[in-house]
Amino acid sequence: MTTEELKDLRATKVVDARGTACPGPLLEAKKAIGTINSGDTMEVLSADEGTKSDLPKWCTKQGHEYLGTVEESGYFRIFLKKK
Amino acid sequence: MEPKKLCLALYTGSVDKLTAAGVILSGAAADDMKVDIYVLLQGARAFRKDIGDNPDKLNMAENAEMKTEFLESLKNLKVKTWVEFFREAKEITDVKIHICGLAGKVWGGEKLDDFIDLADDIVGIGAYITAAQEADVNLFI
Repeated sequence: MTTEELKDLRATKVVDARGTACPGPLLEAKKAIGTINSGDTMEVLSADEGTKSDLPKWCTKQGHEYLGTVEESGYFRIFLKKK
Repeated sequence: MEPKKLCLALYTGSVDKLTAAGVILSGAAADDMKVDIYVLLQGARAFRKDIGDNPDKLNMAENAEMKTEFLESLKNLKVKTWVEFFREAKEITDVKIHICGLAGKVWGGEKLDDFIDLADDIVGIGAYITAAQEADVNLFI
């Protein structure tokens, strides 16, 4: 999805993991994905650089669809769709 | 699909290495791995009920003189304690923690009840070797 499309996307679940360092955001995402349904979208906010590469790879391994990342000032927003 | 298996020989009883083990466990939990942890010599001391994640009772494996700064930095970054990491991993995925019988005895722990409630059983070295042979990932920390 394009950055503009992602910015307009209203995710089913928003996980704000900006307060934690690695592995916090990954685990927050892991726990939150269990609370949404198949086909739902999730947005993870993180200020941890490692998360930017970890989450897309995690999506691939788990079978979820990685939709893209939007860079904001001092953090980023990662979007995905649950399998 | 069969879950990937991680076998961890946890020899260390030092707070820096236990924290690293906790971070790795978190990654394994995120990937739904099946984890078996074998707590060996020094590790069994940290698993004693009166020690656990009490920072005053744990040493550093490296840069011992920087323990205060290290712990302070972890706290500022809101990093969990090693016990919290282990507990959370157990909540998310299948993690079994086995205390080596010999190690337990070295530190005065004969029964499962002598160790923090994360421990599942007390086993012999044969159990570790079997798990190590079957695992996809083997670590010694």
